[in-house]
Amino acid sequence: MFDCDAMRENMPLLLTESLDPVQREQTHQHIETCPICVAEWSAYKETWLILDKLPEVAVPPRVKQRFLAEISPAMAQAMAQTNVVPFRRGRTMRWLAQAAAVVIVGSSAFYAGHRIAPRTQLIPTQAQVTAIQPATPYYSIAESRVLPAASISPQIEGRPDIQNVQFSDASPLNQQIGVSFDITSHVTVTGRPTDKSMVRLLRYVLENEDRESPSRSRAIDWVRATYANVGNPDPEITEALANVLRNDQHQGVRIKAADTLQSMQSAMTDGTRDALVEALKNDPNPAVRLKAVEALAKLARSGVALDPDMVDTLRRKASQNDENVYVRVKAAEALSSIQPR
Amino acid sequence: MRPILRISLAAVALLSATQLLGASFATSTRVVREFPIDPAGSVWIDNPFGSVDVIGGEGHMVSVTVDRVITAPDATSMKAASDNIGLSFEGDTKVRLMRTLLPPGRNARWTVAVNYVVRIPRSVNVKIGSKLAEHIRVAHVNGSVTVNGFSGTLIMEGVNGASAVNMVNGRIIYDYAQQPVSKAQVQAVNADIDIYLPPASNVSWVANTLNGDILTTFNVRLPRFSGTIFHGLIGKGGPTINTETMMGRVLVLAKGSNPNQAQSMRQNSANHQPVPSDVMLQPKQIIQLPYFIGDFTSVASIADVTVGEVRGNARIETGAGEVELGAVFGQCNVTSLGGPLNLGDIMGALFAHTGAGDIIVRAARMGGQVTTDGGLIRVIVAGGPMTLRSGGGDIIVRQFSAAMDAETTSGDITLTGDPHQRTLKVTARTLQGNIILNVSPRFGADIDATILTTDPEVNELTTDFKGLTVRREQVGNKTRIHATGKINGGGERVELYAEEGDIQISSQNITPIKLATPKR
Repeated sequence: MFDCDAMRENMPLLLTESLDPVQREQTHQHIETCPICVAEWSAYKETWLILDKLPEVAVPPRVKQRFLAEISPAMAQAMAQTNVVPFRRGRTMRWLAQAAAVVIVGSSAFYAGHRIAPRTQLIPTQAQVTAIQPATPYYSIAESRVLPAASISPQIEGRPDIQNVQFSDASPLNQQIGVSFDITSHVTVTGRPTDKSMVRLLRYVLENEDRESPSRSRAIDWVRATYANVGNPDPEITEALANVLRNDQHQGVRIKAADTLQSMQSAMTDGTRDALVEALKNDPNPAVRLKAVEALAKLARSGVALDPDMVDTLRRKASQNDENVYVRVKAAEALSSIQPR
Repeated sequence: MRPILRISLAAVALLSATQLLGASFATSTRVVREFPIDPAGSVWIDNPFGSVDVIGGEGHMVSVTVDRVITAPDATSMKAASDNIGLSFEGDTKVRLMRTLLPPGRNARWTVAVNYVVRIPRSVNVKIGSKLAEHIRVAHVNGSVTVNGFSGTLIMEGVNGASAVNMVNGRIIYDYAQQPVSKAQVQAVNADIDIYLPPASNVSWVANTLNGDILTTFNVRLPRFSGTIFHGLIGKGGPTINTETMMGRVLVLAKGSNPNQAQSMRQNSANHQPVPSDVMLQPKQIIQLPYFIGDFTSVASIADVTVGEVRGNARIETGAGEVELGAVFGQCNVTSLGGPLNLGDIMGALFAHTGAGDIIVRAARMGGQVTTDGGLIRVIVAGGPMTLRSGGGDIIVRQFSAAMDAETTSGDITLTGDPHQRTLKVTARTLQGNIILNVSPRFGADIDATILTTDPEVNELTTDFKGLTVRREQVGNKTRIHATGKINGGGERVELYAEEGDIQISSQNITPIKLATPKR
């Protein structure tokens, strides 16, 4: 609890980046391990953001004048009193005053502790354990840490350099999945696939262009295997896959992204559909175009209204003589199931 | 009143009430207008939902009758629809534009059909835009006609001017009252095209379809194919009628002839020199068989082939489609211009190629060649020497027991050697990606591994084996990381080349995959 108080005092300084590096690291580590301080820290940041967004209101001139008029005489009087005689304490009385001060402070503390606080009379009851609350653990230096997704903020700040990303499949007992990675130490985040923090972490892993493609390739495989069983995958996952489809230079990765999007129809957003249309229009790899048109054909069959740009793209693809025949056939199939709206 | 009568009356009343409750409201309003137009003027009609009839005649006036039919489940929706659907008549004597105005975000609770009947001077040019129409009919017009629609039946009757029509779904019917004197460009995606010509017509005919057939009752002269595009002359030849539908069929009939006597130009083209793209001239096939005894052959333009077991050799050639073979006891030769190939246990030599799509092979016991112009290649067991090529996509081999040659223009290559083999020849090359070679700890080879990268801090060569010498050298703006040497005393040559990626040679205790012996 003492740690919490100290850390909370540090939070405003952390916000203004006024802490020295050691204290900053300690405060961050404490926040990561303490669920109460996580909430406190989130509230601080939220307030800070709100304050940042508030417009600066100018003081009305009338108020400003009245304020200055009120304080001006007082200031003038203070400035005028320059003939103040300094009080010089006698050397002999100094030790007596210090001793008296110690006695007064000590007595006050004793009185405050034993007299002022009301005593609560507890009614005796039979002891019964209803729940065991785990004590807030102290942070210990360790090679690896396991963090529950629910206890970490969904907001990823900056662009942390995470490496050696590994995934663990859903446990049959509690359906918890795990994502491990190296940051300053080895961290494993566990939680349900639908936890916002987990979704954001996966999105970061998928979209992180600093990392090499094999990591993303494995991530896509795992995301497909994991979220295929989730009824309504978070749209952030499909948006991350759409960004991979748009931006990844690795054709194998783009093929996987398009293929995985096909299996997540329910979570598709407008942006996701646009990415598929872009891939169908422009991707140089025929397999990516093929996966994109298959995904759009599946969408059309499911009765989702496709916007005019999508219909136009499908129409042009179906008639494009130099396009792969299978892509053309799939585009025509998609068009045959569209009911104009 | 008798009880039976009372019950009957109650039932009738109940049914009527139910009908009323479930009923929808429909309202129809009619607008009639008349405008003057120049003989060489144009009429543009933009009507997303509803039929359009344009009839040519005499005079200098455009006469328009518009019926707006709204269907809604309640009065509120009806009013909302009625307030939001408008008609617009614009233009001057040179161009008359008629439009149906719909709100951008439509309420799905109501539907509307706006039916236009437009009478115009015969010489006027016509342009029609439509999305969903029961029919679009243009009759007795000598001016040019352009139609762009999505769905519905388009009827062009006695149109003598040049025409260009483009539909997606539905049907297109051209009925020429006299022999064509102008060009016609007819395009569709899924629609069938029917052209009715007087028997003595002189026309140059071009037809193209991927999925359907090209049929005629005319005696076509000089027929020839260029890919899937057919060219021929009807009579002496004349204005070109270009008929193109991707998934539909094209039928050109002499008026008065029996459509059942129409002959396929695809199958009866004389003097045709066979070319590889002839597969696109074969009719569509959908084959689903649990097993096939003997040699199985399928050649089709568009084909979805699923055979559980081929007890012989298999040869499949298709323009587009999905091919799935469970087991092939003999040789397997599958060529597709596009579409995924899913091949099971192939006991003879395998040759598989697709223009686009993934190729999955459960077992290639004798090895073979697997190529795709774009897509992933995944082979679970390669029993014989294999060549794998991808125009872009990963290559994964779970276990190979003979020489392996894998190459992709962009993608990762992951190869796992049979732990029973002490040495194996391997060539793996990716122009953008990583190579991972997993072999048993006692695997021996002469390694020659090269990484060419612009970022030597990120791309690296790692190995669990000792005995390799690694050199780094600058080649232009790239760094070449080159590792050579013998591992476990040497063996077959293992040549790995990766650009902008890693190479990892790892030693693993691999559990071998065992294939079940098939029952013949």
